Amino acid sequence: MNKTLHTRRGFLRTSLLGGAVAWTVPIFLERTFFTLDAMASQEPMGKDSPILVVLQLAGGNDGLNTLVPFTDDAYFRARPGIAIREPLKINDAIGLNPKLTGLRGLYDDGNLAIIQGVGYPNPNRSHFRSTEIWQTASDADKTDSHGWLGRYFDSCCQGEDPAVGVSIGSQTPQAFAAAEPKGISFTQPEQFRFASEKASDPAAAEEFFRSVNETAGESNEGGSIGMLQGHSQGGGDTMDFLRRTALDAQMSSDKVLAITRKSKAPVSYPSSNLASSLNLVARLIGGGMPTRVYYVSQGGYDTHSNQTGSHDRLMAELDSSLAAFVADLKAQGNFQRVVLMTFSEFGRRVAENGSGGTDHGAAAPLFVAGGAIKPGLYGKAPSLIDVHDGDLIHNTDFRSVYASVLQNWLKVPVEPILHRAFPTIGFV
Amino acid sequence: MLEPLAKPAWTPAAAAHLLNRAGFGGTPEEIAALHARGLDSAVDSLLHADDDSDLFPPPEASVPEYMDKYRRMFPGMSEQERKKVQTEMRREARQLMDDLRSWWLNRMRWSPSVAREKAVLFWHGHWATSVEKVKDPFAMWQQNETLRAHALGRFEDMAKDVSRDPAMMRYLDLVQSKSGSPNENFARELMELFTLGEGHYTEQDIQQAARAFTGYRINQTNRRFLMANSQYDDGVKSLFGFEGNFSGDDVIGLIAADPKCARFLARKIWRFYAAENPSPELVEALAESYRRSGLDTGALLGTIFLSREFYGPDVVRHQIKSPVQWLVQLCRQMEIPLPGQSDGILRQLGQMPFAPPNVKGWDGGRAWISSATLLLRYNTSGTVLSGADVNFDALMPVKSDSCDLIAWRLFQAPLPPELNAKFSAYLKDHGTGIAARRDLVHLMMSTPDYQLT
Repeated sequence: MNKTLHTRRGFLRTSLLGGAVAWTVPIFLERTFFTLDAMASQEPMGKDSPILVVLQLAGGNDGLNTLVPFTDDAYFRARPGIAIREPLKINDAIGLNPKLTGLRGLYDDGNLAIIQGVGYPNPNRSHFRSTEIWQTASDADKTDSHGWLGRYFDSCCQGEDPAVGVSIGSQTPQAFAAAEPKGISFTQPEQFRFASEKASDPAAAEEFFRSVNETAGESNEGGSIGMLQGHSQGGGDTMDFLRRTALDAQMSSDKVLAITRKSKAPVSYPSSNLASSLNLVARLIGGGMPTRVYYVSQGGYDTHSNQTGSHDRLMAELDSSLAAFVADLKAQGNFQRVVLMTFSEFGRRVAENGSGGTDHGAAAPLFVAGGAIKPGLYGKAPSLIDVHDGDLIHNTDFRSVYASVLQNWLKVPVEPILHRAFPTIGFV
Repeated sequence: MLEPLAKPAWTPAAAAHLLNRAGFGGTPEEIAALHARGLDSAVDSLLHADDDSDLFPPPEASVPEYMDKYRRMFPGMSEQERKKVQTEMRREARQLMDDLRSWWLNRMRWSPSVAREKAVLFWHGHWATSVEKVKDPFAMWQQNETLRAHALGRFEDMAKDVSRDPAMMRYLDLVQSKSGSPNENFARELMELFTLGEGHYTEQDIQQAARAFTGYRINQTNRRFLMANSQYDDGVKSLFGFEGNFSGDDVIGLIAADPKCARFLARKIWRFYAAENPSPELVEALAESYRRSGLDTGALLGTIFLSREFYGPDVVRHQIKSPVQWLVQLCRQMEIPLPGQSDGILRQLGQMPFAPPNVKGWDGGRAWISSATLLLRYNTSGTVLSGADVNFDALMPVKSDSCDLIAWRLFQAPLPPELNAKFSAYLKDHGTGIAARRDLVHLMMSTPDYQLT
């Protein structure tokens, strides 16, 4: 923990405050940020580094009405009320939900890969447990408190800016949880700073605020200083966590604000939460944030009843938001640098229930979009006859998708992150 | 385990801790008064406070008819007219929700029965139900009242009543569940999130329990529970190793009798009121106490509030305030009303009452804090302070120890010396005018320390 605080403080001094404040830097800190500079020069995060955008479809997206097996009798038998008869054909056996016209266009342009039948052994039907499994990339019978992206930050992004991971939302996703946590989250960039202008002496308040939030952390490090014991008693690990978050927020807020203030989207986005999130991500990418992983989400997929209307709306929102995002990145010239992948904690039961909806299920397809991906249909569609307890059986482990992205897109070794090797898929 | 706190340990700081956790904190005077009672009487006064309903006349949403007037208009309307009426209906529902939310938040802010309101907040996060899906302010108010009625009472009674509240019936799709095609949503979350915890039941238990909860409907006249016997599956169900003609209430009875239920709830209650990660021995002791009381939540809280563990160094000032706690406590400490824009503040900070993010409720703990919400708290405290009529002369008189006085009011703990020195220096540099004192309070609130209670 102390190491993290050193790291953060080093960055704060070099990157943000510079000469603005007269610092007396202890020798051990000095050393820390020299090391940092050296590390940073080894791993430059320039204009060309690859970017990953993870899009969570929260609630359990109905895979069978997203990628529709429209020539399979078993599909129509199981879903007399909610089956989709005329999807957007991909081939003679499957087609996309009719609302996914933008994704269909991406597919035709060679910018979309569809991975079919993704899941994991012994699937869990709890939203929360299954989301945790996807976020931590653990086996279904094990728990892991750290996220797969957190372990990526831990193993590959030591000493980098905390904004290496950005989550749009007020919560930090469990996927970012790490031994040395990184990543910032926010929804509205204009709120993402300390507002001192209302104080009677704004400059003094601002400086005072920074110093208080800084030294509050300083006091707890260097075990050699005896009197600090008392204060850590007052807060312990939780206090460390708060201090680190305060530092990360300070470090990143100026940059985020500067970028979002000046950049305007060249394309118009539809009005939805997802579209606003993706719009923000596009502006941050265009503005040159050193971020490698962005995390956005769209909720509402838990369609237990009367699902046709609501699922259509979700698909339409997903499609129009993604289409605008892709157009934006293309206009910026950044589409080649970005890979976006979707995931949902599970698909839904093959058969519809008595309420015109579907209950929690298992395997489902996911999408990967990007300017540099290898397009096409990957994996094998699950059988609707040979099912397990009414659920589709997965053919592709979701960690194969992660492994492919880590190894072939982010170019990092997989095993330290996923704990073991998984076969990669050729979409990237 | 759970021995009563030793008498000398009942200090003003301990009294402040009790008031913070059992309720929403208070002023130095209120803390002193609680301390003067002695521990037993202090706990008793919190858990057996008078009914405060007289002080809070029901909100507008407590009248079930408001939607009927729209519904009566529907027959014979064109699609276009109907859409217009629906828009109007949604607008009114939003207003009623705003009113209901403000009614509850004000009850937390002003109620003398703070422990009950705090427990209602706990149970709201437990039986998490969102108006985003329920879409009916009357049902949300009804559920809030159900939670209040049982907040410090027996869990089994609460569970049965909650399962029959239209809010839960809609939120987890019970209203559409019928014999032959039961909807599993409620049965699953009942076991996973409300009573036993993941891994303590089988898929078969869920499917069988779902059958027992069929036929739950809403009476459209008084908008309360109605049993539709024709939709109810009265066959034999087998779950948890039992077989019988179980009804929904029977299933809840079976679950409540299972020691795993007491363990699951006791752990969750400790986490809400005291600290994360209780030791297995502590959980066992709490579960045993809860079980022996017949799952009487007030009795369990009494045991907790009297216990040595509750005042331990790893508990006091180790909890991250929830956004509601943060806001209500701030207003109680500063003796100001809730700000007009409380709704918006809580939405942005991630805890909108009546709209938890999902059926699991709010994760709590560190999940409250991200770089975004921390900065928002800092900024919002400034906005609240400058928008309120704070009596700084009373709260923070200009004296040699004015920093200590305000620090005790805000933190109820001695500040680290270097922080204290900084605050005193700020006051010295900027004078003791109202503006300078307000800035200082804002800066004190803009610290990691202020996020803890």
